[in-house]
Amino acid sequence: MLARSAWIALGLLVIALVWEGAIHAFRIPPYILPGLGDIAGAVAVNFAPLMRGLRATLFVAGVGFAAGTVIALALVLAIVLVPAIEKGLMPLVVAVNSVPIVAYVPLSLIVFGIGPASKIAMVLLGAGFTVFINALQGAKAVDQGAVNMLRSFGAGPLRVAWLLRLPGALPAIITGLRIAVVRSMLIAIVAEMLGSHDGLGRIIYEATQQIDFLRVWAAIAVASVASMLLYGLLVWIDQKLVWWK
Amino acid sequence: MTRSPFLRNGLVQVAPLLLCLVAWEVLARIFGSTHAVMPPVSTILLGIFADGNTLLRSFGRTLAETVLGFVPAAAFGFIAGALFARVRIAERMFFPLFLISQTVPVVAFGALVIIWFGNGIMSKVAIAFYLTFFPVTVNTLRGLRAVDQDKINLLKSFGASAWMLFWRLEVPHALPGIMAALLLGVSLSLVGAIVGEWFGATVGLGIVLVQAMYAEDMVRLWGAILLCGILGSTLYGLVAFAARRWVWWGGEI
Repeated sequence: MLARSAWIALGLLVIALVWEGAIHAFRIPPYILPGLGDIAGAVAVNFAPLMRGLRATLFVAGVGFAAGTVIALALVLAIVLVPAIEKGLMPLVVAVNSVPIVAYVPLSLIVFGIGPASKIAMVLLGAGFTVFINALQGAKAVDQGAVNMLRSFGAGPLRVAWLLRLPGALPAIITGLRIAVVRSMLIAIVAEMLGSHDGLGRIIYEATQQIDFLRVWAAIAVASVASMLLYGLLVWIDQKLVWWK
Repeated sequence: MTRSPFLRNGLVQVAPLLLCLVAWEVLARIFGSTHAVMPPVSTILLGIFADGNTLLRSFGRTLAETVLGFVPAAAFGFIAGALFARVRIAERMFFPLFLISQTVPVVAFGALVIIWFGNGIMSKVAIAFYLTFFPVTVNTLRGLRAVDQDKINLLKSFGASAWMLFWRLEVPHALPGIMAALLLGVSLSLVGAIVGEWFGATVGLGIVLVQAMYAEDMVRLWGAILLCGILGSTLYGLVAFAARRWVWWGGEI
């Protein structure tokens, strides 16, 4: 019986072999599919600019993600304390959310300029929605009997929120955060593609325009590894924090 | 005759939105200049009608890219998920990688897809395909696998063949998850089509967005945003409707 990680390693090996084998067997030109070694080489050659780009993208994604999460959780708390807010807020949320987030990117670039602010605004919106919807669902799914019991012991709405709704909603919140962190990287990169001075998205866009496919692959590789690590971090936090699930 | 609760609920839902639109209109009229970031709502709507032909063609183009990618992707995703569920070794080796690859910023591959397929409609279709294919495969496999062993044993004891088990038990069990994946996929397909157009195209809502941005034509930009919203919610609504109509037993959607 092989361990889980061994199977995954085997899978990676098979994919790598098929990848390289296909290139040799079918003589696939590098502009269609470069060899894995070539991509690694391109990452090494462009390492300094790629890391600069990664730092810019991570900054934008991180600030937007954090701000979006805080705002989303504050809104959910407000709804839990004053349920009437939801009636007024939800139609607006649904209306704004019905537009694919990337369609707002040109608007954001005009309003907030080509600097980091426009990307942060987009990530904030995208990550915020994801966290908001998950957290709200989690906060509302609390057992009403438990709420009534706490209330009968004299707990106010704030204490109910802290003692009952937060722990109850935490799994849903963290699921939301997991999806949001991946979305944040994606939105940051997409926004950078359309207009930016730096960032991985900018590198990908420029390399595409110059038909420098190896640099495109290198930037995608860096972006993918970064996304996976961030996602892994949240999975780890999930396992540490939500032990009661 | 009393007013139906349906109508009243509808009013409660729409009222805040209408209020905001009116406020937008009034504020834009009072404070707006010709280059205002938020032109009055009426100006935006009139702009859409004035530009009707171009926008309609762009709308149709983006719709075609999304649907042409989405439909085959749903079929292939289902088949791939079913194959994964049959072949244990393939599942062990590749499924975790499949899951990990979901965290990859997929739209970034759009650049490569343009290199592969060129500037035409195929490249956007390919992006939309890829973005839908993944969630459908993952949820198909999960659903097929999560069937209660007791139910399988029960059907087997009545002499059900593997084929019957698959269609009568496993597929119905997986369908709610598959519908959830389709809802995600249809939204992602539209994103893929719009972003794909940024890399090179001549028609499409993504192109209208970018052109309006460079021209700083706010009326046109808002019009395109509105049309993207209409396209997105129509497609989403259709899939959600299909899910409620034909997969009514699902608890996961």
